[in-house]
Amino acid sequence: MATANKTLVERLFAAHGGALQGFLARRVRRHPEAAELAQEVYLRMLRVPDLDAIRNPEAYLYTVASNLAKEHARQQRKDAAALDVDDPLVQEQLAELPSVAGDLDNEQRIRRLREVLQQLPAKCQAAVALQYWHGLSYEEIAQRLGVSTHMVKKYLSQALVHCRRRMARLG
Amino acid sequence: MSTNEQDVRRLISQAAADWFVANRVGLTPTERSSFTTWLKSSPVHVEEYLALSVIAQDLAEACRDTEGSVEALLARARFEQDSAVQPLRARVVAAAQELVMPRWQPLAAAAAACAAVSLGLLALWTHKAGAPVTTGAAALVASHFETRHGEQQTHVLADNSVLRLNTDSSATVRYSKSERLVTLISGEAVFEVTHTPGRPFRVLAGGAEVVDLGTKFDVRVAPGSTAVTVIEGRVAVAPVAGASRAAQFVQLSADQQISVSDGKWPASPVGVDAQRATAWLHRQIMFEQEPLEQVASEFNRYAPKQIEITTPALRNLQISGVFATDDTQAFIAFLRSLDGVHVEVTDRQIRVSQD
Repeated sequence: MATANKTLVERLFAAHGGALQGFLARRVRRHPEAAELAQEVYLRMLRVPDLDAIRNPEAYLYTVASNLAKEHARQQRKDAAALDVDDPLVQEQLAELPSVAGDLDNEQRIRRLREVLQQLPAKCQAAVALQYWHGLSYEEIAQRLGVSTHMVKKYLSQALVHCRRRMARLG
Repeated sequence: MSTNEQDVRRLISQAAADWFVANRVGLTPTERSSFTTWLKSSPVHVEEYLALSVIAQDLAEACRDTEGSVEALLARARFEQDSAVQPLRARVVAAAQELVMPRWQPLAAAAAACAAVSLGLLALWTHKAGAPVTTGAAALVASHFETRHGEQQTHVLADNSVLRLNTDSSATVRYSKSERLVTLISGEAVFEVTHTPGRPFRVLAGGAEVVDLGTKFDVRVAPGSTAVTVIEGRVAVAPVAGASRAAQFVQLSADQQISVSDGKWPASPVGVDAQRATAWLHRQIMFEQEPLEQVASEFNRYAPKQIEITTPALRNLQISGVFATDDTQAFIAFLRSLDGVHVEVTDRQIRVSQD
């Protein structure tokens, strides 16, 4: 069961390691950065001469996004290395750094997401748990819930949109 | 954002969600081509799709350990109408909650609720009750946090700095107007510090003192030695007992680690992969060509069953990989896949030996 949900997570942002996933996810969550990142990903995707020939556009999207995140991380590290902490100018800049608290921390975010989930109808919640934690297929979920697979997809899609809307308000 | 803009965004979000759900079972060639077209038609589509992917990733975590509750949900569903419409009550309650709760409030409330002992709140309460408050000048707010074996906690402190405690750890936080002081009594913690000029953030851990220069760093206390690893920014580290302290501080930047142990100062920082050292934040442990003995002791920090290596020759076996801290099973399976390694799981132990 844990293995099943891991394969989904692994499929997302394929094989770049937890740390990078975290980095990319952080950027995606923060509004101005998310838009900026999406813009860059978009432009890179457009540069591909024959995008239609790509067998898995989603995997391609994640790869482009991950590569960009990696480049940014490398650039940031370079910038940080070039700083001299003893320089009063740098000290001044350090003082003006935005607070890290703008990044809603992981545990709080998950807790909030649980609350947001609870606002959904029971069947919808059950479909989400069976898909994302238990790793059941749409057919298996449909059987458990006694609905069509079409309905299962609808529940899951509805849940995603609901969570996205509610979570976006947290900034 | 205008209402019209919101509506458009909502529609995009809906389309992104439909595509995301469809992608989980794979697309037909026709669908694949329209998905590509959809992605190519606007960066906002790309943004929405990535945002939903991240939400989906979080959903796995949010649904953790829902074994029993799925049954409960199904039972409840029988009472609810089979429709895709949200129940009215939940919607009204949610709307009301959003009206009265500014975004920091649930954060602060939750952080306070998590604190094992919150002397600061106690002081506030006493003050309100009219009793004389006799807090020392240095201790305006003091809180104590503890984690059990295998447990991790995250606390947002009063200044929005974040304290993340790893397994078997305890820390005391004391904030005054002129200083922020955290004592890491045992275990390991990562600090994400908000920089406040004139109010330094200091960590006392084992024999080490760490002064933050606006940054994120990891401190791990072990018997006789304390390791400090910088993830972002810079810190200054010195032994607590240093006679002329200022001269003894050693500066550390990102991806550097220093060990403070008795009688070995000044020490030189060594280069490390800070992401690897702090993989525990993602409930992961990463190894790159490390001896099995060390890997096992890392696992033992989290797992209920302790791993014991009964064949001495195996202690130096080099291991690489990424494992979940709470998934000893995966690690056992990995060990079993190695040539000549035998793993025996008993009620209390995991014994690793040579075949």
